[in-house]
Amino acid sequence: MRVLRLGWAYFRVIAANEFQYRVNLVLQLLNSGITLATGIVAISLVFTHTPDLSGWTREELLVVMGLHIAVGGLIGALVRPGMSQFMQEVEEGTFDLALTRPADSQLLVSIRAFRVWQLIDVIVGGLVVAYGATSIEGVGTGRLLAFLAAAAMGVIVLYCLWIMLATTAFRITRADSIFDMFDGMYQAGRWPVSIYPGWLRGTLTFVIPLAFAITVPAETLAARLGPGSLVLGLLVTVAVTALSRFVWLRSIRHYSGASA
Amino acid sequence: MAVEGATFDLRQGEIVGFLGPNGAGKTTTLKMLSGLLFPDSGVGEVLGHVPHKREPAFLKRIALVTGNRNALAWDLPALDSFLLLKALYDIPAADFTRRRDQYIDLLELGELVTKPVRNLSLGERMKVELAGALLHAPEVLFLDEPTLGLDVTMQKRLREFIREYNREYGSTVLLTSHYMADVVALSERVIVIHRGKLHYDGGLAGLTTRFTTFKTITVVGDGLPPDIDAWGEVVERFPDRVTLRVAPDQVGRVAAGLLATATIDDLTIEDPPIEDVIERVFAEAGEET
Repeated sequence: MRVLRLGWAYFRVIAANEFQYRVNLVLQLLNSGITLATGIVAISLVFTHTPDLSGWTREELLVVMGLHIAVGGLIGALVRPGMSQFMQEVEEGTFDLALTRPADSQLLVSIRAFRVWQLIDVIVGGLVVAYGATSIEGVGTGRLLAFLAAAAMGVIVLYCLWIMLATTAFRITRADSIFDMFDGMYQAGRWPVSIYPGWLRGTLTFVIPLAFAITVPAETLAARLGPGSLVLGLLVTVAVTALSRFVWLRSIRHYSGASA
Repeated sequence: MAVEGATFDLRQGEIVGFLGPNGAGKTTTLKMLSGLLFPDSGVGEVLGHVPHKREPAFLKRIALVTGNRNALAWDLPALDSFLLLKALYDIPAADFTRRRDQYIDLLELGELVTKPVRNLSLGERMKVELAGALLHAPEVLFLDEPTLGLDVTMQKRLREFIREYNREYGSTVLLTSHYMADVVALSERVIVIHRGKLHYDGGLAGLTTRFTTFKTITVVGDGLPPDIDAWGEVVERFPDRVTLRVAPDQVGRVAAGLLATATIDDLTIEDPPIEDVIERVFAEAGEET
């Protein structure tokens, strides 16, 4: 409960401040519009040459694209700003003040910064997913719920990845270049990982697990995966969450001991 | 800087000046006591808690303020950051409102709390930082160079505020500062460390007595004796005023002698400036280590 209460308190205050900068809304709308338009053009171009892409129909690819935009927006709005701030503070040596606060350090790092306008990407992406989903045959409540569960687990896995990437700031300087690498890899997630060669598919599944966040939920909606995949997804999510928590606590302890 | 063998107790409600040259281990000690560092050996206990465990129950009862760092969000007005602190420290609404208004009043913050912190000057920022740090009414306050870089008026304002806070809430304050005026104005007790070791723990007056190797006697009058050099080392000489440097145990004899043998309008005996005393303490501590 405290997690939600604190998260909401931070979100409310930061959002109220960001709402004062309306020009950011215009820029974000423009950005989202361009992302959406180029995505639709790319899919249309693909389907002028082939009736399906490795078994994926146009509607299913729309779902993948919509999810790519929405998850990107969610990470950009809620996860990345906090991680960037944390890494900057570590580099400048000011992070330790956050450790004097009576809250879990990982929670605090995760809720201290938001970019509210980027949530527009979540709305735009969500609308594209909704449009694609209504055009896929046989999508009912059960499949929709399974899709949402898979997408939620995928987002959690990505968050955990960001947490682990962020802790590299304790060991190397200019760690934010890792985020640029993430951005580069994230672009590959706009297509289903199954269309890529094996090595890239492996990377997008196990190194930067975009497959869990985007392809797997889309496959769930298209009924390509059975309930077993959801259970497997849950196990992966729990394991990655535990691993990232372990990495975080270990890093914080190392930081406290080493900065004397 | 490692801290080793520095043992001291703080009593509730006292303001203690924590002194030492750069690199003496002051900040390291404050970080250890506020839970940011865990010691390789030795025990630190604050309010019955082991600091480095960083239990929320402990962290809610202390505050660490450092003069050159921002704890409040850079882009938000302080008022908004105060709301976040209210949630973070679970401060009851009535207490929060009362303290916030009280600090705004005492520190004359006025409109400053409505501007993003990044738009404030260094002194203004320090005032809002201090207000934010005390919203949860910490019982123990660690102040690390709180007046660093501030002009004298702002230093004085912050000192008054710290004293007022200490008086009202009975909190314990451990203060480091390079400005001796801070220490003299706020602390009756001082702790001196050097290279991580404790060198003095006692009253400020005792520090002066123990480490003062001379006092100054200034005499004013028209008929000052020409052989006044015989009474002590002359520091300043004017036709009607002379300042002598005299060993502390000779002060009584010299003063009485001068009064008996010359026509003197005024005679003052002074300790050397506290900065000189501290310099001597640091020098001695350096020789010992």
